[in-house]
Amino acid sequence: MGSDKLLFIEDLHKYYGKHHVLKGVNLAVNEGESVVIIGPSGSGKSTLLRCINLLVKPDKGRIVFDNEEITTGKIDVRRVREKIGFVFQHFNLFLHLTAIENVMLGLIKVKNYPREKARRIAEEALLSVGITEELWNKYPAQLSGGQQQRVAIARAIAMEPKLLLFDEPTSALDPELIGEVLKVMEKLANEGRTMIVVTHEIGFALKAADRVVFFDDGKIIEEGSPEQVILNPKTERARRFLFSIRELYRLE
Amino acid sequence: MGFAEEIVYLVSTYGVSLFNAMLLTLEITSIGFTLGVLLGLPISLGRVYGPLPLKALLAAYIELIRGTPMIVQLFFIYYALPLVGIKLDAFTASIIAIGLNSAAYQAEYFRMAFGAVPREQWEAALSIGLSKWSTITNVIIPQGVRIAIPALTNELIYLLKYSSIAYFVTVPETVYVSKVIGAKTLLHIQIYTITAVFYILVAVVLTKSAKKLEERVSIPGLVVKGRI
Ligand SMILES: Nc1ncnc2c1ncn2[C@@H]1O[C@H](COP(=O)(O)OP(=O)(O)OP(=O)(O)O)[C@@H](O)[C@H]1O
Ligand SMILES: [Mg+2]
Repeated sequence: MGSDKLLFIEDLHKYYGKHHVLKGVNLAVNEGESVVIIGPSGSGKSTLLRCINLLVKPDKGRIVFDNEEITTGKIDVRRVREKIGFVFQHFNLFLHLTAIENVMLGLIKVKNYPREKARRIAEEALLSVGITEELWNKYPAQLSGGQQQRVAIARAIAMEPKLLLFDEPTSALDPELIGEVLKVMEKLANEGRTMIVVTHEIGFALKAADRVVFFDDGKIIEEGSPEQVILNPKTERARRFLFSIRELYRLE
Repeated sequence: MGFAEEIVYLVSTYGVSLFNAMLLTLEITSIGFTLGVLLGLPISLGRVYGPLPLKALLAAYIELIRGTPMIVQLFFIYYALPLVGIKLDAFTASIIAIGLNSAAYQAEYFRMAFGAVPREQWEAALSIGLSKWSTITNVIIPQGVRIAIPALTNELIYLLKYSSIAYFVTVPETVYVSKVIGAKTLLHIQIYTITAVFYILVAVVLTKSAKKLEERVSIPGLVVKGRI
């Protein structure tokens, strides 16, 4: 395990009752790398991301993050989560807080920054995702889906995480709003942030990913460069799935 | 004398004692309710998020309160506690009984309200590294309390009427004084009409104020359908 490995997952298993959801996942992510995970619904992609930031407790296997095994009992879960940003499919902004307060909450309550400093960082983060001043004091319900998701991204990056996890960040968005979110994510990838993105946006994968992982039935069954996995998959399963996705895109 | 004149007579003759009685009713209600919030909120938190023994203890408390008539609880506090050396005047005993009773109900309303906060709000808070407690105070309580307002309004109006149990330990609140005046003047229907109007008026004012409060603290864009 080299020191440039930020994340190292080894033989990870998760059961929901008798349902074996993760069946031995092995994945290593380098510092600065952006990895796209593609795979059919129900294959366990969200579960994998949730295991990484310990929202879900894996049943077997190891996760080493930032040179520290986080799957032992002794770990300070909060400190790990603080270092991992999570962007949800349905944004999950705090409903009772304005855009800027959403970004500030973690800075104040987790990082213990004074209000002024938190506000400065939050403003910067919001601007970097294209949320301009007139939107800062809007509540989530007053923002479009694309704006909400960008605020959610700002909330994640303001904490200066070492790793960003995206769980289908654009699949709850109207088609015309997907672009603005993908653009922000591309920018983050180009800045050299380490990120794992679960998405079916193969255009994004081809443009911004360093590596694509095809996930099926609780396991990684194929991985490689975006061109190779998306345009030229080796396994029959991946070929079929990607074919159906490509058809879908052509139709749009 | 006609009905209206009799009412005028009652008000002009007994106005001051009626007024004081009504004031007492409002005092018992508001202090009892406040006590109920101050106890009910922590009880609900302990019951939902506390360690197992605490959960069980608080659940038992709620069952005990809900399973016995409020009047029995009041008699217990007023007549039984002096046996162990705790002697309370009737007014204080009434407030404590109502507060303890209301706390159990309010705890349940808060519990339901916290349960109605979407699970995703928890996940979002935990994912940025907030602790469980910090999530509760910064996310769950602010959203849950808003959800609880209508139920708490009902509880307050309920208490307004049930504060009259203080009558049974001779607190000169509205019902007690009305009864005394009724017995003295034999104008029963007339005096209880005045009393009823009082309760209705207060209930209407409370309902309207609660609606205002609810609107004031409502989250912009969330309750009102459509974009602003
Ligand atoms: N909390 C849970 N309790 C029980 N079963 C769950 C839970 N979460 C997920 N599952 C099950 O685990 C399996 C994998 O779910 P997961 O959400 O990880 O899949 P996914 O690949 O993200 O799918 P999708 O593309 O639909 O989001 C599914 O069969 C799902 O029903
Ligand atoms: Mg999923």
